[in-house]
This record gives sequence, structure tokens and C-alpha cells, in this order.
Amino acid sequence: MLGLDYSWLADPAYQRWLLIGVVNTLKLAALSSSAAILIGMLGALGFTLRIFWLDALIELFVEVFRNTPPLLQMLFAYFTLSTLGLRVTDPSTGLSVPLLSAFACAAISLSLFGGALAIEAFRSGIETMPRSIVDAARSLGYGRWARFWRIEAPIATRICLPGLTNILTNLFKTTSQASVITVPELMYYAGQIYNDTFRTLEVMILVLLIYVALVSILTLAMARLEAFMAFPGYGRGL
Amino acid sequence: MAGFVLHYDDKKRAVQLLITLGVVVWIAVDAATGGSAYWTRVLVRLPLLLTGSATGWPVTGGFVLNILLSIASMALATALGTIMGLGTLARVGLIRVPNLLLVNFLRNSPWLVLLFATLYFLPFEMRIFGTIVPFPPFVKAVIGLALPTAANFSEVIRGAVQSVHSGQWEAARSLGYNTFQIYRHVIMQQAMRRMIPGWMNLYAPLMIATALATVTGIQDVLTILNTLLAMENERVIVYFYLTILFLFIPYCYPIAAIARRLERAVKGDSL
Repeated sequence: MLGLDYSWLADPAYQRWLLIGVVNTLKLAALSSSAAILIGMLGALGFTLRIFWLDALIELFVEVFRNTPPLLQMLFAYFTLSTLGLRVTDPSTGLSVPLLSAFACAAISLSLFGGALAIEAFRSGIETMPRSIVDAARSLGYGRWARFWRIEAPIATRICLPGLTNILTNLFKTTSQASVITVPELMYYAGQIYNDTFRTLEVMILVLLIYVALVSILTLAMARLEAFMAFPGYGRGL
Repeated sequence: MAGFVLHYDDKKRAVQLLITLGVVVWIAVDAATGGSAYWTRVLVRLPLLLTGSATGWPVTGGFVLNILLSIASMALATALGTIMGLGTLARVGLIRVPNLLLVNFLRNSPWLVLLFATLYFLPFEMRIFGTIVPFPPFVKAVIGLALPTAANFSEVIRGAVQSVHSGQWEAARSLGYNTFQIYRHVIMQQAMRRMIPGWMNLYAPLMIATALATVTGIQDVLTILNTLLAMENERVIVYFYLTILFLFIPYCYPIAAIARRLERAVKGDSL
């Protein structure tokens, strides 16, 4: 009907590009997701300490990163951080080169963007923790740490999981924007392939399907994790 | 000073205000100590970045175009999302299953890739019943951004409709209403209240995603920025990027804040 031509897919060179693209996308997603979760945990922990200036700083961080386009954040990191002084002198050529590669810039800005979303998700998870459970644990003689590890953390983890799934899928999808700053991930190689073959629509449909498949795997895995961790009353375990 | 106590939230606000003031002071100091040349360059270009024309009028692009794009996409997404959302709730499997597949496909695809796919999938004009309907890049951008938002909105609708107690359905059915009448007079009346915060929550991400529309070639704020930056030196680029980043915050933050407040207000009520 549309006259789609996928004969270019038989070329091993394009297959290799697609494979490298997928691997780099996975790397970028894994790296920025772990960093985002770490930032989210630290940020949420910072909120629970109730130190007003720390609270204010974290909130500003969250709002700035959540309300600006991640694409702009990446462009900013890529084009201006080296101007602002993040440069090193290459010992072999003696030239001043940017300290951070495109990949590093993308990973850092995605981590910060995802981290801002994660802080908010974890904080609301902690806030919805039923007060009565904390009180019950206290009356049973749990200390501060035992209460956190044995009561609060397990419940908060389960409350936060659906929100975390959203953030991880969002972050995975946002990695495609790193192609704009020439990170050699899937979307970047898609551009390379259609510049070569002029099969724009075919390449875009294939890449879209690959992304949907990868994100679906992530969503399903998170759903399985949720079901596995569920206990009565929280999350899916009703 | 007796009786004057700063509460926790007041202290927090005070710190945030101080930091904001600090940024303003920093800009002022920077402008006074050599940065003024850079800031004037940004200031000269600001009307162009905001409206797409150097004098500020007529509006041909820029940040205003991003706002228009987000509003048009939101309108289209609301219409499409309503259809898809009700489709996923249909009891006939032949309607429900394709709708569910479509919603999950759109929800799991990256905005940028979907925008590219829409860009190449739609022809630049289409013949419908003898009249030629053109698809300029702006329309393609509207459709490309509306698709994922519509899928997310359909989930909001589904959640809101399912949150209405099943007794309402049974009562309406026993009163002899048909499905359309039940939606129109019973379910939607109650679900609407829960939908609005979810609907508003979709707007800020959509506005942020309009930055991606630069790939369709419309004269949005990023396209204009890239054109301008080709003429500027490395140092000025920093100032331009900061300016654009902080154009988005005053627009998106209040909307997001109102949506969250509404969400909290709705959370407690039981239907």
C-alpha cells in the first residue's frame, strides 16, 4: 500500500549501525536511570531531614529541571560547559579540547532531568506513607534506623514503584533527543541510514518499532517487579 | 521581636526568594563588569526570539509560536484522547483491543521519533473529496505532538471513568438509560472533576516538548536560536541559552503548580 522498501536492511553495514545504536541507547539509558534514582533518593532523603535551606534548594533544583525542555538542557551542556571553563589540554596535540564528550553531556543532563522527576516521585511516595504505621512501629519499640529499614523503606519503595516506572520510561524515551547533540545512539544512526539510503519513512518506522519494543520490555519488567514485590494493601497487592 | 515567628514554609520561601534575588544581582554585577556587551546582544535579539520578527510584531514564530503550538496540540489531543479513552472502555472487544494497542504504542514511543515519523508519514498535501488539504510543517508538528499527549489523556479519562463507583452504572441502567446517556448524564458529570487535574498535568510536558518541533523546520524559539547563534561568538551563546531556558520556567511553572494544587484538592473526595 505504501510501497515500503526494506531491502537496505539486508546490508550488514546498516545492521551494525542499528546494533551499535541500540547498545549506545541502552548504555545511556542505564547510566542516566541509575544516576537519576540515586539523585532522587538523596533528594527525597534531603526533604525528610527538614532543614529549611536544603529543602528550598532541592525544590528550586526540581522546578528548574522539570520546567525546561531536556533538549535545551542537553544543548546547553554540550555547547556552553566547555566555554565556561570545562576544558583540558590534550597532551598529544597540545590543543584545548572540551572535557566532556557529547555522550557525557547527554548522560549528565539526562541524569539531572530524571533526578528532578525522581525526587518529586519519591517525595510524594514518602508523604503518602500512613502515619499510623510509623506510630505503630514506634510503639513497638523500633529505633530510628530499624524503623526506617524495616518499616518505612519497604513500604515507601512499593508506593513509589509505579511513579518510578513512569520516570524510567520517560527517561528512556528522552535518550532519543541525545541524537541532536551527536551522541551515536539509535536515533543518530537512523539519521545516518536515511541520509545514505533516502528511505526516511522506512527507517523512521523501524526505529519507532525498536523504541516501542524496548520501552514495552521495560514497562513489562517493571510491572513484573511490582507484582513480585507487592504485599497486601500497597501498590498492586490489594 | 516577641511573637514574630517564621514558620518552616516561610523560611523556605525566604531562602528561595534570596536565591532568585541572588541570580538577579549576579546578572546585574555581570552586566556592570564587562558582561553588558553580551546582555545587550541578548536584549536586542529578544523580540526576535519571542515573536519571530525583530520589531516584535507581527508574530511569525519564536516562543509565542511554541505557546500556540502547545495550545493547538492540546486541543487536538483532548479530542483524540477522549475518543481513544472511551474506546479503551468499550465492552466490545473489537473496539477495545485495537484502542488499547494504539494507546500503548503511542505511550511507549519517544516524542522525537514520533514527531519524525509523523513528519515523513504525512504527505505535504492530501486530496480529500476533491479539495486539496495542505499539511504545512506547523500542522505536522501539531499532530506529532498531539498523538502521545492524546494517548496519555486517554489514560486519564479511563482512570477517571473507572473511579466512578459501579453502583452508578447499575442504578442508571436500571432506570433505563442507554450507554451513551449514562456517559452523558451520569458518568462524565462525576468523572470530569477528576479529569481536570490530570488534563492540566499533561500540558506542562507538552509545552516543554514543543522545543522538539524545531526538527519540523517551523520557526520556533529553538530554530531561531540556532540561526542567531550562527552569527554569535562562543561566549554570547551561554547568555542566549540561559535566556531561553528561563523563558520556559515562568510559563510552565505556574501551570504545573496550579495542576498539582487541583490534584490535591480532588484526591480526597470520594464519589
